[in-house]
Amino acid sequence: MSKFKLANIFAYGFVTLFSIYVLLPIIVMILTTFKTRREIFLEPLGLPGQFNFSSFEKALSIGLGGFIFNSFLVSLFSVILIVIISGMAAYVLARIDFRINRYVYLLIVAGFAIPPAAVLVPLYVTVSNLGLLNSIYGVVMPLTAFGIPFTVILFYAFFLDFPREVEEAATIDGCSKMQIFFRIIIPLSGPAIASAAIFQTVWIWNEFLLALIMLTSDEVKTLPLGLMKLRGEWSSDWPSIMAGLTIAILPVLIVFLIFQKYFVRSLAGLGK
Amino acid sequence: MNKTQTNSIGFSLSSDRVSVIILLIPALIFCTIFIFIPAFWAIVGSFYSYGMTSLNDWKWVGFDNYIKASQDEFFWIALKNNFIIVFASIVLQVGVGTILAAILDRGIKYGKVIFRTIIFTPMVISSVAVSIIWLLIYDPNFGILNNILIAIGLPTPSMGWLGDPDISIWMIMIVAGWQNTGFMMVLILAGLQGVSKEVYDAAEIDGATGVKAFWYITLPMIRNIIIVAILITTIGAFKVFEFVYVLTQGGPSNATQVLGTYIYLQAFNLLHMGYANALSVVLLVIALILGWFQLKASRRA
Repeated sequence: MSKFKLANIFAYGFVTLFSIYVLLPIIVMILTTFKTRREIFLEPLGLPGQFNFSSFEKALSIGLGGFIFNSFLVSLFSVILIVIISGMAAYVLARIDFRINRYVYLLIVAGFAIPPAAVLVPLYVTVSNLGLLNSIYGVVMPLTAFGIPFTVILFYAFFLDFPREVEEAATIDGCSKMQIFFRIIIPLSGPAIASAAIFQTVWIWNEFLLALIMLTSDEVKTLPLGLMKLRGEWSSDWPSIMAGLTIAILPVLIVFLIFQKYFVRSLAGLGK
Repeated sequence: MNKTQTNSIGFSLSSDRVSVIILLIPALIFCTIFIFIPAFWAIVGSFYSYGMTSLNDWKWVGFDNYIKASQDEFFWIALKNNFIIVFASIVLQVGVGTILAAILDRGIKYGKVIFRTIIFTPMVISSVAVSIIWLLIYDPNFGILNNILIAIGLPTPSMGWLGDPDISIWMIMIVAGWQNTGFMMVLILAGLQGVSKEVYDAAEIDGATGVKAFWYITLPMIRNIIIVAILITTIGAFKVFEFVYVLTQGGPSNATQVLGTYIYLQAFNLLHMGYANALSVVLLVIALILGWFQLKASRRA
């Protein structure tokens, strides 16, 4: 019995300690936001003397709203493109014995493995030749391409488990493959679409490397670039930097806490 | 072409060939323009010398860029760091993630959802934001890490946590672990929840409970998920960029450089585009080998 208790203490102790490790930086971020620069210097471990909102105003004044808006547009456009395009391709791969399907699947897996850094210079040249440098489409297009392979793999697994009877009935009624896909498959794929959209939104909202090389003027910068700008311009004004981070993180955290069941399901599906 | 060839649903393929091609083509166009053709040009470009201002003025240099890489101390440091990150991530993220998943699955009764939510949260925060928060934590003057150690009378590193080449890569690993362990935990937890209760009942009759049952019975049953977790972590370790770029910029004196940041440095700071391509090709080869393993693993699963 005592052995059981010891194991229990260890189990609760381990997850509690790990949870503290996870929460501590978030607490530091929020508390620092309300401190003054003087308090940061004199009492790094102390609590803020009073709730001081001036750093929020400062963070917003540097144009954080614009960066958030750009990130929103980039995520919205990319995720819509990724979900539709990947869904169509995965449907063909899962449902039709097309001679080239095997090679298409191999290409998709290869595309999944290749990281942006492995094609960095030619990708920059491609976007430059398309005239899309310093345009949000200059990141939307490559991000869509890099999001497709993973999403095709995710949808492919989903469609393989999809019951065929409905499609067969529709075929007998004279529907074409296109009609079947858009009128029957898409409306019935809610959970798979939600998983794919959530995963890609998290990835694209936070993407940094491609945005860093493609977007250099402030009007088109996305949120992660904006946060680097805060850090660069206010090197030791930590309250204002942390206020900027809080503004950037809080909406995502709230969305996550509301939809966390779907987030978890989306990522957990990866292992299957 | 054989017109009577039938597809899996059972009717003539040729009548639907057009719609099949329309459904498939957008994915192929996007991947070809932004992944495969750039990969091809990275390989070709690695045999040339050109810079940002002379993007179309290529000079053939043969294998010079690869010879340069083989003699470039910082390239080897970057490659070594990627491998350190691979092994450290497998131990810290997959290892600790497995322990956390096992505890949340059967080790505790109360607070499962709360613990899972907390530990998973860092996954949705941007790596840039995460790194900036940790910059403050590691700060020698304002950071809580130094101030806690000083308060309890322990020594602090004289060059700072990120300024000491012997420890800075490990400080980066603490941040990477903070962000990614929860993801591994959730992935493995999903696998554990697929193990049926009968298995545990049978194990208990055979005298295996707790850690013993987990090690000898559960772990082999979720072997495939662990393999996938290790592969995702390994592929991720070669994609590392933000943590290094924000926390150390590859310093001190290139000690924390990784392939991603070194390619970026060569291409966009030093404007050695041809050399950056040669470094990219090294990353490309590693990525494709890992992709091949991924394919094997997913077929088995």
